Amino acid sequence: MPTSTLDTPSPRQDEEKRPPDRSHGYRRGRRIDTLTAAAFLTPGMLAFALFVILPAVGGLVLTFFQWDLFSTPRWVGLENIIRLFSDAEMWQALGVTALFVGMGVLPTILIGFVLAVLVNTKLPGIAAIRVFYFAPMIASAAVSSLIWVNLYSTNGLVNQALSWIGVNGPNWLSDLTWARPALVIMMIWGGLPLVIILYLAGLQRVPDDVYAAASLDGASKWRQVWSMTWPNVWGTTVLIAVLQAVSFVSGSFEVALIMTDGGPLGSTQSIALYSYKVAFSQRDIGYASALSLFQLVLMIAIVVLVRGIVRFRKERS
Amino acid sequence: MRTPLSHNVLRYLAIVLAGLVMATPLLFMVSGSLKSAAEINAFPPPLLPETPIWQNFADAWNYLTPRVILNTFIFSLGIVGLQLLLSLPAAFALAKIPFKWAAAVVAALVIPLFIPGNLTLIPLFVVTYQLGWLNTYAGLIIPMAAQCAFAILMFREFFAGLPVGLIEAARIDGASWGRVLTAIGIPLARPALATFCSISFLTAWNMYIWPQVIAPNPANRVINVALAPLAGGENSMISPSVGLAGAVIAMLPVLIVFIVFQKWYLKGIVGTGLE
Repeated sequence: MPTSTLDTPSPRQDEEKRPPDRSHGYRRGRRIDTLTAAAFLTPGMLAFALFVILPAVGGLVLTFFQWDLFSTPRWVGLENIIRLFSDAEMWQALGVTALFVGMGVLPTILIGFVLAVLVNTKLPGIAAIRVFYFAPMIASAAVSSLIWVNLYSTNGLVNQALSWIGVNGPNWLSDLTWARPALVIMMIWGGLPLVIILYLAGLQRVPDDVYAAASLDGASKWRQVWSMTWPNVWGTTVLIAVLQAVSFVSGSFEVALIMTDGGPLGSTQSIALYSYKVAFSQRDIGYASALSLFQLVLMIAIVVLVRGIVRFRKERS
Repeated sequence: MRTPLSHNVLRYLAIVLAGLVMATPLLFMVSGSLKSAAEINAFPPPLLPETPIWQNFADAWNYLTPRVILNTFIFSLGIVGLQLLLSLPAAFALAKIPFKWAAAVVAALVIPLFIPGNLTLIPLFVVTYQLGWLNTYAGLIIPMAAQCAFAILMFREFFAGLPVGLIEAARIDGASWGRVLTAIGIPLARPALATFCSISFLTAWNMYIWPQVIAPNPANRVINVALAPLAGGENSMISPSVGLAGAVIAMLPVLIVFIVFQKWYLKGIVGTGLE
């Protein structure tokens, strides 16, 4: 059940039964088992140690060094961490990150929920139509950037739609005010499929008699949705909130890198993008690592915050 | 519970309409990829091209080069294949071979699932760089294939569900563990394999940042790295409609895989989210 998803998942501790005593002796069987298990695990564990554990630890260690990839790394202690707080560009990037999360997460959840309720039906042909809802998920960052750059151009589809209602649209991606919302709208579009899929899975667990009881009462369809369905998928909502927050903090910097390169004037440069640029344009690996670490702290803070809200709601009800 | 017919018709309309809005950017991509240079820059933009310009696809193909397409297949299939090699035996050992440290290994594998990939992008780049793997297939594929904790845990979950008696019987008949895995475990794991392969392939095909930092040179470039500069608006040599044709080419393989494997893919996505 998704209500428990924020707890550390406890992988199934299925009690494996020991193989029965075999003709060639229990001890020898055990040794073969252990040796085979070791052989089966070694390649995966080597790869895991070298490319998962080592980078995780390495990222932490690099924070304490100044390094440009080529010369010998120089120990600088906490200098990179201290620099975070006096760096105006970092504060701007933090503000951009907060705005991305603030503008993006809630609409994605609400629109995703409504759309999931809408397509949660057994009407004929629904499976084929749902593909339209899921398709944005399989467009890569580069593909969706190519599309949205055209949609947002001065004489693109978005401005045409606006001109129908008499609005003169801006040059979205080069506009100091509008570049950020433009990217957020695009990220919402890209994030919706996953939200719809997760809500659909959640909705299928809502028992039918909940609705039957409600329609006997004559509750109107939408009141029914908000008063019965919404509380029933609350666990899914919590999960989605965390996933979306993390995704708006970190996952979506690719489109900003491709479409605006963080501009105009840094207005679309999140912490994730700033860290990327410090690493790969300025080759300041130590400070970039400090920025990544800061991002991790942000995410942990978000998860703790969401858990706090969940607990608060539980206590109230 | 009965609903009146008019209700269903209204709902249908709403579903189709909302679906069209969701799909508009993608439909625009297809229509735009067939427009002439004049049509794509016209205001108001025509919804459909007057005559489809198939030449855009030829131009996009020439811009991308077959090499880039080939690279993308090597990259994606390399990751899928290597992840299978790394994760299937490991998962089977954790699920079915009794040994002392299984629980500890599983616990160690769970931790990185909570760290988003791009937080470790920089140190992972450093490790790969130190190995001298910049601009190589090894550098592109191996570090990404090594992110297989999810695959190991997923297959382990599946193998754990196989009846113990089946495996015991094979063992008593004298089959080695390797034989049990290849003759019983893997053939029975087909649904899990379909889920894993589709997710892994789509993820790999759509990767941008990793191939961009590891292999930006033409010899090893993958399709998203080749397309991204066209979205920056700097490349005025290439018409936007040719760029959109490139986007269609980039999306075609994943669209096919998605439609064919939809059932298993979605099951996996829900599983990931709920973990």
